[in-house]
Amino acid sequence: MSGPRIELAGVAKRFGSRQVLAGVDLAVMPGESMVIIGGSGTGKSVTLKIILGLIAPDAGSILVDGQAVVGLKGAALDAHRARFGMLFQGGALFDSLPVWRNVSFALAGSTDERRAAAIANLALVGLGAEVADLRPSELSGGMQKRVALARAIAARPPIIFFDEPTAGLDPITAAVINDLIRKLTTDLKITAVTITHDMHSVRTVADRVAMLHGGVIIWQGPLASLDGCDNPYVRQFITGSAVGPITVPGAR
Amino acid sequence: MKAFVVIGAWVLAAFAGLGRLTRFAGTALLRLVQPPWYPAQWLQQMLVIGWLSLPVVGLTAIFTGSALAQQIFIGGSRFNAAATVPAVTVIGVVRELGPVLGGLMVAGRVASAMAAELGTMRVTEQIDALVTLRTDPFRWLVAPRILAAVLVMPFLVLVSNALGVMGGWLLATQRLGFNSAQYLATTARYLEADDVISSLVKAGVFGFFIALMGCYHGYHSGGGAAGVGKATTNAVVSSFILILLANLVITVIVFGS
Repeated sequence: MSGPRIELAGVAKRFGSRQVLAGVDLAVMPGESMVIIGGSGTGKSVTLKIILGLIAPDAGSILVDGQAVVGLKGAALDAHRARFGMLFQGGALFDSLPVWRNVSFALAGSTDERRAAAIANLALVGLGAEVADLRPSELSGGMQKRVALARAIAARPPIIFFDEPTAGLDPITAAVINDLIRKLTTDLKITAVTITHDMHSVRTVADRVAMLHGGVIIWQGPLASLDGCDNPYVRQFITGSAVGPITVPGAR
Repeated sequence: MKAFVVIGAWVLAAFAGLGRLTRFAGTALLRLVQPPWYPAQWLQQMLVIGWLSLPVVGLTAIFTGSALAQQIFIGGSRFNAAATVPAVTVIGVVRELGPVLGGLMVAGRVASAMAAELGTMRVTEQIDALVTLRTDPFRWLVAPRILAAVLVMPFLVLVSNALGVMGGWLLATQRLGFNSAQYLATTARYLEADDVISSLVKAGVFGFFIALMGCYHGYHSGGGAAGVGKATTNAVVSSFILILLANLVITVIVFGS
């Protein structure tokens, strides 16, 4: 495939009086690991949910593998979603199900086959079979993220979204998760889109980086060009400075 | 003029809410008749709603049936009608107290639990996760709860009726001096098929409203813990009101003439 795997053009979304996205243009190539950075509330998660068809955009077009996504319904929407895995910010594991049933939730087959597949996927994220029968509430935050990661890759989707994969984790666990994401995206030849505030994540996971601010992509480029970028918004974000063009409401 | 604007906005909001609720219920009912189905979910919900509600429904029925018999005895004694205790107790329990109190107790226990569970799933993105895993939340979460509540509530109300009558019998024979065999014979003589049928119909309708309110408010929960709390409260209050309203409507239709 020569064209982009995911292509957004002019995607806009308003919630009440708040214009969250004001014309997002973004292209993600096959096998590429794209990281979208940006401050809290800039619409990064909304962008992912719009691509997945969880939220309808007000305007703009979205193509996935060349197929228009906006307006899909029923079986066509199911087929579209079958191309994606999603790691939610909080893991979003089903509390009422044991770990192995969470991981194998979207898999077909007999109980034994699904359990075996779940254990194989848990092994890919560094977890042993002994966690298979535990409930999500019995796991640490880092282990929950790993289980959620195993669930996201279990059906071997060609595209995976990672929503704040290291949020709430200690630096060492966060580094483990970042390494896992990088390894899995490379080994499984997955197209990945990660949204994060964590610059360690960006540097470990990204092939390309895009910054979302004011409802639009204000900069994008390869990871190697991030540190040399002269965009003042990007500079402020990657240095974590309180002084710059990005202002936080309530901050002095 | 401002009052008209406020009233108009309120009426429009009420109709919009009714429309959303009707659409929600219609979608859930449609999923009940379209495969794929999740029988394991149905059975689990039947267990949660039915089996686990038995103690609270049973205790409520026994205590209320006993209290009703005592009140009928005291009231009836004022005009030499104390002997009506078995007849009035069985009619009162089967037609009204069994289904209504059973429904209210199940609503308090189940509608709140459903709203809290689905609300938590909403705010922790578990419902979004279901969708991304190509599982319709209406099929997985809502339809099994509604089906289970509609099927299980009549059995709960049957138990409630039986225990309510038993409560009255216990009090009447142990405290009020009624003969046991005569009490039971009178109870059987005055209990009619219509009483039982209307009771079971009410139970099914109450089950539908309990599950619908629990699921609807939980599914549309938002705003973190406070939002889940509000959804839980709304689920219980709205199911209480709908149970009492539906009871009145069914009673008037079945017995009004």
